[in-house]
Amino acid sequence: MPTDDRSRANVLEIDDLHVAFQTTGGPVHAVNGLSLRLPERGTLAIVGESGSGKSQTAFAVMGLLARNGRAEGSVRLAGQEVLNLPEAKLNRLRARKVAMVFQDPMTSLNPYMRVGEQLAEVLVLHEGLSKRDALTRSAEMLDAVRISDARGRLGQYPHEFSGGMRQRVMIAMALLCRPALLIADEPTTALDVTVQAQIMTLLEDVREEFGTALLLITHDMGLVAEACAETIVLYGGRVMEQGPTEALFDDPTHPYTAGLLAAVPRLDAEGDEMRAIPGDPPDMSRLPPGCPFAPRCPLVMDVCRTVQPPLAPHGPQRRACHADPEAVG
Amino acid sequence: MTAFLIRRLLIAIPTILFLIVLSFVLMEVAPGSPFDSERGVPQYVLDNLEAKYGLDRPPWERLGLYVWNIVTDFDFGPTFTYRDRTVNDIIAQGFPVTLTYGFWSGIAAMAVGIPLGIVAALKQNSWIDTLAVGFSVGAQVLPNFVMAPILVLVFTLWLGWLPGGGWGGGQWNYLVLPVIALSTSYMASIARLTRSSMLEVLNAPFIRTARAKGLPMRRVVWRHALKPAMLPVISYLGPTFAFLITGSVLIDVFFSTGGIGQFFVAAALGRDYAIIMGVTILYGVIVVALNLLVDLLYAWIDPKIRYA
Repeated sequence: MPTDDRSRANVLEIDDLHVAFQTTGGPVHAVNGLSLRLPERGTLAIVGESGSGKSQTAFAVMGLLARNGRAEGSVRLAGQEVLNLPEAKLNRLRARKVAMVFQDPMTSLNPYMRVGEQLAEVLVLHEGLSKRDALTRSAEMLDAVRISDARGRLGQYPHEFSGGMRQRVMIAMALLCRPALLIADEPTTALDVTVQAQIMTLLEDVREEFGTALLLITHDMGLVAEACAETIVLYGGRVMEQGPTEALFDDPTHPYTAGLLAAVPRLDAEGDEMRAIPGDPPDMSRLPPGCPFAPRCPLVMDVCRTVQPPLAPHGPQRRACHADPEAVG
Repeated sequence: MTAFLIRRLLIAIPTILFLIVLSFVLMEVAPGSPFDSERGVPQYVLDNLEAKYGLDRPPWERLGLYVWNIVTDFDFGPTFTYRDRTVNDIIAQGFPVTLTYGFWSGIAAMAVGIPLGIVAALKQNSWIDTLAVGFSVGAQVLPNFVMAPILVLVFTLWLGWLPGGGWGGGQWNYLVLPVIALSTSYMASIARLTRSSMLEVLNAPFIRTARAKGLPMRRVVWRHALKPAMLPVISYLGPTFAFLITGSVLIDVFFSTGGIGQFFVAAALGRDYAIIMGVTILYGVIVVALNLLVDLLYAWIDPKIRYA
């Protein structure tokens, strides 16, 4: 509900975030000038193809960038600047203020530790609970993510859980300290389609139950429509379009957004061919000087190849495109 | 787990038997005899000798008798070169020596190699990492037959701190140089293996999860990364320990330790089948035992491995 945004404090504020990696082939600019506001209990999606910089944005917030990565700009968690904070200070924010659910639940849990211990150690560390109390709280949390026989499963190892169950464990783990912000990085990509819906429903339920804001990182426009009030569309590390999800879906003002929406398979659509955006995602180490989407854009003009379009307001959205918004769609 | 242990021990029996038969056959087809010598020995003397040691009987009978004596009396038979001692005596005399310095070499290699590898991985590309990698490469290109004389030159002849050979009943000062000479290259291998394995584990997604939970790096390394990072190291340590405690021929000969390696070389040159067989079987039993230990350690570390 974007209308009462002003009455709520922002749990996450990002201003002009740049993330770059030093590689032997020169610097790779993964994120270029991203800004966003996420109010308490709010929901926001960052959408893009692989390599668009969406995951690196999440890692920058968590302070989990790879060693050769550098972030510039400003990222504030509940008002506190977190960018380039020393590890010890970050560790006091992680799990307590912000927690993250990762893409692949098969590899994100430690296969050599019992699930109970992986959960309980969070509470022992951050809330000073005894091992016994921490395990009790962990069982309650597994219960909250609808894992049956929670107490008994604490003693099991990750390989004794199915993929969907593991992702539930990850969500439980993230919520243990009731963080104000939950980042979910492609939380359903690695799961069976039938399980995907369950996990998204669960995320929605626990978000409301625990009063957590959700930053959803995804490539799936279908998920966004259901789960998030606001959407940011990233391409080549740049924001193509951002605004209320409803407006974006009803009236996309950027050719890339329009292309993504057209690529979502629909049963009721005419014809039965899959619609893809022609061309490949850009090489992040050799971005063109103009709009990164220009080489694949159906509305491309000469100016697009040389001048980066600014992110400018248009109705409820903001868009970075030289083309006439009326021509998009 | 008990069922697994029993089964593994039962499998070890045909393994060892096969080793015995194979060594026996190889000895049989190798040319020469323990009684060959430069001086021509009269044929009737040779016949008497062969009769005394049972060499006049057909091979299959000797093999059967050999195995039978081991199984019933744990008797590896007489030697051909030492008239007053049996193979059991030789092993009883030499094995404790190699076991002692081999064991300490293994401990030293682990105690230095593992921490060095971990620190190098944690401080990747720092000066300490460069130092560790440099040491590893240096130690691996410096074989122990080069290292041993250098050690003796420096610590015995120049500094006069440590004895350059002998055993001294296993006193620590006699142990130092053989242990350094033997352990350094293993130390280097273990350090390199630990470093690369630790680096790989530290890049695993579950380590990222652990960091995302706000765990201090200390706990991430000790509680989350160490066990999986040790898996390849443990599988390397099994055969390495087997190799170390059965002794290094070079170390035994160079430092005159009186270890089993010295007897082994002499036996090979003198065609003393009995000693060669005895030592080979000893080595085989130790390898089998240590491999079993490695498997058990694996099961303890990796919950996905459950032996039943």
